[in-house]
Amino acid sequence: MKRKLFIATSLSAALAGCGAIGTKLAENDRIRSILGAGETLDLALIGTRGLVREYAASDISAQFPINSFDTPVDAVYTHLIRNAFASFRLVVDGMVDRPLSLSLAQLNAMPQTTQITRHDCVEGWSAVAQWSGVALRDIIAAARPRKGAGFVVFHTFDRDANGVPYYESLDFSQALHPQTLLALRQNGAPIAPDRGAPVRLKIPTQLGYKSAKWVRHIAVVPSLAHLFAGKGGYWEDQGYQWFAGI
Amino acid sequence: MQTGKVVYRHSVVTRLTHWLFFIAFLALVSSGLQIFNAAPYLDASDKTDPARRVLQIYAPADNVGSTVIFGHAFNTTGWLGWTDDGMGGTTGRAFPGWITIPSYQDLADGRTWHLFFAWVMVFCGIAYVIWGISRHDLRELVLRPSDVPKLLPMQLYYLRLRKEPPLHGKYNPLQKLAYTLVLFVFAPLIVLSGLALSPSFDATFPWVTVLFGGRQFARLWHFVLMVALCGFFAMHVILVAMTGLRNHITSMITGRYKLGAHDGVGI
Repeated sequence: MKRKLFIATSLSAALAGCGAIGTKLAENDRIRSILGAGETLDLALIGTRGLVREYAASDISAQFPINSFDTPVDAVYTHLIRNAFASFRLVVDGMVDRPLSLSLAQLNAMPQTTQITRHDCVEGWSAVAQWSGVALRDIIAAARPRKGAGFVVFHTFDRDANGVPYYESLDFSQALHPQTLLALRQNGAPIAPDRGAPVRLKIPTQLGYKSAKWVRHIAVVPSLAHLFAGKGGYWEDQGYQWFAGI
Repeated sequence: MQTGKVVYRHSVVTRLTHWLFFIAFLALVSSGLQIFNAAPYLDASDKTDPARRVLQIYAPADNVGSTVIFGHAFNTTGWLGWTDDGMGGTTGRAFPGWITIPSYQDLADGRTWHLFFAWVMVFCGIAYVIWGISRHDLRELVLRPSDVPKLLPMQLYYLRLRKEPPLHGKYNPLQKLAYTLVLFVFAPLIVLSGLALSPSFDATFPWVTVLFGGRQFARLWHFVLMVALCGFFAMHVILVAMTGLRNHITSMITGRYKLGAHDGVGI
């Protein structure tokens, strides 16, 4: 009996110890970079090869959660809201032959596409909505990226509580995916200010944090290393995977 | 009888994958519960739908933890819903800090661990099965039609309602049933239901997500399969402890196993 008690006690101690060791290991940067191999495999073996399922209007979620920072309150964005985005310009530049500066009217005049797709949050929940706007690949094609361009970076009006800007990035295979959208409307109405007005990214093949709200500037760059913490996005810089397809 | 005779029971691949499975399993469960904590509810639907909620673990008020299963609420304060925050305090949190990696709320690290050890599990599984087929080891492990009539007598033996176990080889019929289910049903399904949560995988193989009844439903399956595998793990450890802990652990490290009274019957 004593032996069994001893075994039970050591087993529980070992389990509790495992948790503490796990936490210590999780905080080690070298371990973190080794475990990052999982993402490399995901990108190589899963990648994004198909089109996500498109839903019927009856599938649209009654409630679409908001899971981002608050609507920007800086002077520039407040001014834009006040003039109904009349002075808004979406700038596309970087390694392109034809830099663009597009007004909302110009974006609305471009060929529009509509999708009813499921938004999958990294937290685990999903919501279905209809998104309309300009396929990102049409904008990229209009700007004519140069040879050597590797990534498309999205700068936004969004800031966290400490003022750190929210940004995101895609490689060209993700940016040119036919369902990657610069959304101007959600469920038929112009994107609301708290949902990323006037233009937000909607990439249904990846988790929600990729779909940056309040996009103001698209930059075509050779690499992500020189941007902020160098991981290619606000959440990526805090340890989330750059490949958010899983 | 061959009782007491030492035989070479587990190949090096079996031993290596066994311990890698063990590490990966612990890492996957604890990081998986970390991920669950970010959205501590499970719906039997494609999109999130509270009307089809099967499980929810939450804190309805400070210092109160509640677990709701099919609409029935249970007070689980201290265990689920209101638990330790992994930093010495308590907080509204589905699974407690002592069981998650990292102990405190950190979805990013939880995902990094989960997505790494998922590959460890998959590669170990593939290596184990290929090795097992090439060495004919799997033959002794997989349940065959001829084992089915022996399942009940074996269960009766375990319940001490029968003196002798039915004639069997290296593994008894119940062991074969458990290993066959785990290796060829639960393991593939838990990998597939996990992949079904991936929007990119869903774009490539939409039928997988459909097979599980949608994305949220796949999340529910993934959780249920985890519970089933934890059940297997618990039974495995209990039975190993009851039938000669030292002998089993030695054999899983060195490969050498000392035969007991009923081992090797019918080989």
